[in-house]
Amino acid sequence: MNIIAKALAATVFLAGSAGVHAETLRMWGPEQITEPLIAELWNGIKADFEAANPGVVVEFIPPTGTISNGAVQAALQSDVGPDVVLTNSGIGRITVVKNAKQIIPLTVYYESRGWKDKIYPWLYDELKGQYGGEIYEVPDGLDALGIWYHKDMFAEHDWNIPATWKEFVVLMKAIQDKGIQPLAVGPRTPGSAGHLFGNLLQSASGTLNVGKALRGELAWDDPAIAVGAVRLRELVDAGLIKKEMAGLDLDGASRLWFNKRAAMFVAGPWFTANARKAGYDLNNAGYLPMPSDISGEAKPTGGVGWSWLIPTNSKQPELALKWIDFMLSDGIMKKRAQHAASTMLYPRELKDIQPSTPVLKEIFAAAVTGVGYNPSVYLPADVVDTYFQVIQGLISAQVSGGDGMKQIQSKMAVVR
Amino acid sequence: MRVQALENIAGGAAETSPPRKWGLLPASHANVGTAFWLMAPAIAVYGTFTLVPIAVTFLLSFTNSAGFNTAADFVGVENYRKAMQDPIVWQALWQTVIWLIYHVVLAGGLGLALALAIARLRRSQVFFRTAFFLPHLVSLAVVGVIWANIYDPFFGLLNTGLVEIGLGSWTQGWLSDPSLVLFSVNVASSWQGFGLYMLLFIAGLQDIDPALYDAAEVDGANGWQKLIHVTLPGLREVMTFVMSLAMINGLKGFATVFVMTNGGPFYQSELITTYIYRLAFQSQQHGLAAVLCILLSLFAITITVAFNRWRARMAR
Repeated sequence: MNIIAKALAATVFLAGSAGVHAETLRMWGPEQITEPLIAELWNGIKADFEAANPGVVVEFIPPTGTISNGAVQAALQSDVGPDVVLTNSGIGRITVVKNAKQIIPLTVYYESRGWKDKIYPWLYDELKGQYGGEIYEVPDGLDALGIWYHKDMFAEHDWNIPATWKEFVVLMKAIQDKGIQPLAVGPRTPGSAGHLFGNLLQSASGTLNVGKALRGELAWDDPAIAVGAVRLRELVDAGLIKKEMAGLDLDGASRLWFNKRAAMFVAGPWFTANARKAGYDLNNAGYLPMPSDISGEAKPTGGVGWSWLIPTNSKQPELALKWIDFMLSDGIMKKRAQHAASTMLYPRELKDIQPSTPVLKEIFAAAVTGVGYNPSVYLPADVVDTYFQVIQGLISAQVSGGDGMKQIQSKMAVVR
Repeated sequence: MRVQALENIAGGAAETSPPRKWGLLPASHANVGTAFWLMAPAIAVYGTFTLVPIAVTFLLSFTNSAGFNTAADFVGVENYRKAMQDPIVWQALWQTVIWLIYHVVLAGGLGLALALAIARLRRSQVFFRTAFFLPHLVSLAVVGVIWANIYDPFFGLLNTGLVEIGLGSWTQGWLSDPSLVLFSVNVASSWQGFGLYMLLFIAGLQDIDPALYDAAEVDGANGWQKLIHVTLPGLREVMTFVMSLAMINGLKGFATVFVMTNGGPFYQSELITTYIYRLAFQSQQHGLAAVLCILLSLFAITITVAFNRWRARMAR
């Protein structure tokens, strides 16, 4: 009887102490956690973190969306949401949750926890310049959007990689003559519309002008920046980008490319995950930046693609900070960069790593000198919707390049 | 005479009627209190989930709220001014009207047509009734995904089917053509909704006295005349109910548009509801979104009042 009583008391004590000490860190993300390869990587990271922090349990919340479609805001608003968030970012998106006071500023931790030294200096400067010195995100990965193509298709038809815009248009015509869609795009997914358009702006106007337009120093209907929109409409009018593409989303456009009914597709390193899921042979994927007639401006577009955020109503802010420390550590970052599930550029230079696929190696090489702007993630939230709708309008031939850019400019003027 | 007699009875009753009662018990303050407490849960639920949100929405419309975590300033009628000057609001409102008409005609019309087609079937009616009702059990978001794939211009069932049967010239950009997109999305939404209307019409058809058809036949009426002079008048009550329901469902149109086009391309399928969502949860402009909620409510009230007046006039 005495033994039973002692055992019972011990059980109650253990249960009680577990209740006191067990801490759960609820994390929004990562995307596609239900994919076996991604789950393998993240469950490994989770196990490492839990081992390093006894009594802590990490719980993944599979994302139902992003800031762009309001899913993150809704989760945070619920007050039973995540303690730390990993989501698609960029100033346009972060501003939405920052203005709603749904996330806390992290500026002090960049100094006190040494995060400043764990990201590219240019990246830190960029973040510092966004909200008058206050930083609300910790970059997890960068995007590098460029043109994906089928190596075997190009070899079979003897198509060469274009060096200028004129050569690019000639190539598109040659592809069309073979009965293949030159370029697939899925503008029903706003991001996908922005990937192509950002590449066109970069190619036609260069990083400097796109940056000026984003900062409001150059009007969007100025010919120096509007030329990218004019080019898109010209491609549509020439049938080189089918108007019907306006009815496709990212999955639909990807399907067109994976099935080789389209020769090219604008995407970032994350497309490796989509390709793997579709059973596409990643060794056959080639990558090139959109050709430009401006010297040195044929480069990928991107910027901060994914970031860590800490919600204002996080129940475990200290643990969230520890988690971010952990994710920025050398061991974890290298582990991720070399894992087959790796789908992005990392926020600092990682030496002696071997990307898991040849196309990732090409993307890393193309982005080594930096990337241009992807306006989708830099435009203010109130403008970005107009921006996406204008791109849809251009692809469905409802609006001219000049008029479309005027609409973006008028929205920018209101916001500023 | 009978009316007069009833009036007399009523008058007499009024003169001699006992004190008013609450059910079986005599009226008293205690009973009023009991009644209040019995109703309290319902009042609390209604107040919490209907009246309070309405009041909060109304108050929000006069603020620059960017979410519940922010301190919102009173901005007067600024949001109303912004809404009136926003061309997308008017476009979305107009498209909401078109959407509603499409829904009433497509879903209501298909429901009626199928009800007429299967109402006389004896053995197979249950099968068809179940089969046609099945889409109603599928969530609108799933319906949106299914139909977006059907409409895929390159791999979709519709375009590839048309090509297969030699009608390649009929293929369309169902979700990219600005003149088609709202209709295309509405077809998907109506496909999900017609089953319920069909069931209601079948119930209505079963209520029509078969003797009326016999009488019409004796009078030499053909099928069309029976439909016009017997069936449709017999369905009047059900029709007004279905129309009310279809209009309410039409006004609530959101999920299929959100999933299939997100309001695009270039706002061509934007509805007030999708624009409200975009403003409130993507741009965090809660004040402006609240104005559009009020606008939508006024729109719904106007339509309902107009419809009820029309219905009353028709009944006379």
